[in-house]
Amino acid sequence: MIEAQSLTKRYGEVLAVDAVSFKVERGEVVGFLGPNGAGKTTTMRMLTGFVPPTDGTASIAGHDIFTDPLAARRAVGYLPETPPLYPEMTVTSYLRYVAAIKDVPRARRREAIERALERCALTQVRGRVIGTLSKGFRQRVGLAQAIVHDPPVLILDEPTVGLDPVQINEIRGLIAELASGSGESQHTVVLSTHIMAEVSAICRRVILINEGRKTVDESLEDLKREGRSLESLFARETGSESPVAARVSQ
Amino acid sequence: MRHIPTVAARELRSLFVSPVAYVVMSLFCVLAGLFFVIGVAAFDQYVRQLMQFQLFDELQKQNLNDQLISGFYDTMAVILLMLTPAVTMGLFAAEKTNGTQELLLTSPLTMWDIVLGKFFGAAAFVALLVLFVGLFPGLLFVYGDPEVGKTLSGLIGLLLVGWTYTALGCFASSLTRSQIVSFLISVVLLLTLLLLPAISDLNVMGEAEGLSSALRWLSTGQHFQQLLKGLVDTSDLAYFAVMIGSVLLLTKASVESVRWR
Repeated sequence: MIEAQSLTKRYGEVLAVDAVSFKVERGEVVGFLGPNGAGKTTTMRMLTGFVPPTDGTASIAGHDIFTDPLAARRAVGYLPETPPLYPEMTVTSYLRYVAAIKDVPRARRREAIERALERCALTQVRGRVIGTLSKGFRQRVGLAQAIVHDPPVLILDEPTVGLDPVQINEIRGLIAELASGSGESQHTVVLSTHIMAEVSAICRRVILINEGRKTVDESLEDLKREGRSLESLFARETGSESPVAARVSQ
Repeated sequence: MRHIPTVAARELRSLFVSPVAYVVMSLFCVLAGLFFVIGVAAFDQYVRQLMQFQLFDELQKQNLNDQLISGFYDTMAVILLMLTPAVTMGLFAAEKTNGTQELLLTSPLTMWDIVLGKFFGAAAFVALLVLFVGLFPGLLFVYGDPEVGKTLSGLIGLLLVGWTYTALGCFASSLTRSQIVSFLISVVLLLTLLLLPAISDLNVMGEAEGLSSALRWLSTGQHFQQLLKGLVDTSDLAYFAVMIGSVLLLTKASVESVRWR
């Protein structure tokens, strides 16, 4: 579903992402793990077409981001780090707008909005103005925005940041639900986080990015089988192993 | 291009749920009323004076269009210069602060969907303001007999001037993420545009005849004046089309530049 070929992003002298390649199959839930500033957000922005890569390319659901950008963008639901919300709009009118610009056919819009509202548990705040909603609700509106056009690929940048434990569980449950199912209704999810527990809770595979380079790309099952923990892997790869962290991981 | 109406409608609706639209509209209408009443009073006094001194030849030459309506439109163009930036300041700047720029640029929208959608949203609002201006000369048709053609061509001129300001405001908004900075940039740009004829009249320009007339051509002034006189010339209409088109082209480049930074 997603194929990245040596994606590279250079900002002037700074190399933000350095030749990252990977493939994600349908129905996979992949966690992008890495310290802040590692290049997770930049990689996601390249996949979603927000910024073009300096070098390399990617394809989403078979559409190349350079040669067929509109089809590639249509196939992606994207939740950026800050949910892209218009504070003055109501939840429903916002979702109606997003559905329209994401090319959901007019006849199917109402149904698509209802489904997104229901899936993200937003039905009771549907008429509220977004600016008056709590952080948890806003995050969920952001997620509803990403799934309203039922895209095959979901790219979520830190989807649970700033939520309380109950809300975190709800969002995780929703992601798991989106990735389950079969055929057309099965979504492919890439999410970024710096919380390791999140990766072990919902992802089947982890891609570790550090200083713009992909350093680890393994399924969680393999890791478990080999008796390695995510924490020690993270510490080793990011070089952040401090005496305290080492003791904690023991 | 088929998403232009979607983007424009959202822009227009957002204007009307924020206080900006109402503040701009009420200020604009109050000022329009004020200037219109002042204009009518001045015209009335002038006509009375001419009658008092029995200058009937002079009196014959007076008409509502040249003495009152043109001046009124001209004043309202200056008011638009101050208020259009308030309408356009948020067009792109607010998208950046809301983070919705990421939504727009990752949606299957073309650059023209975004730029033209926003332009038309704001342009529709400015058209509404110009419509309010049109109501006042409309009153004159009840009590007098102004020329319909001249009154309308002047109003179209005002609309085109307003849309030129809207395009420049769009561009200013695309340059920054701060609405205040966007407002200030537009006001300075528009004042410069207004003052171009004055600059071209400066002595230093004496030698460069071509540059001087080019600057004059670039300003909305001379084209607007033609329309106020009731002269609808394709060259003036073309000026507005070229001006709005090229500024929107610049805006598109400016919005697109986010991708290449």
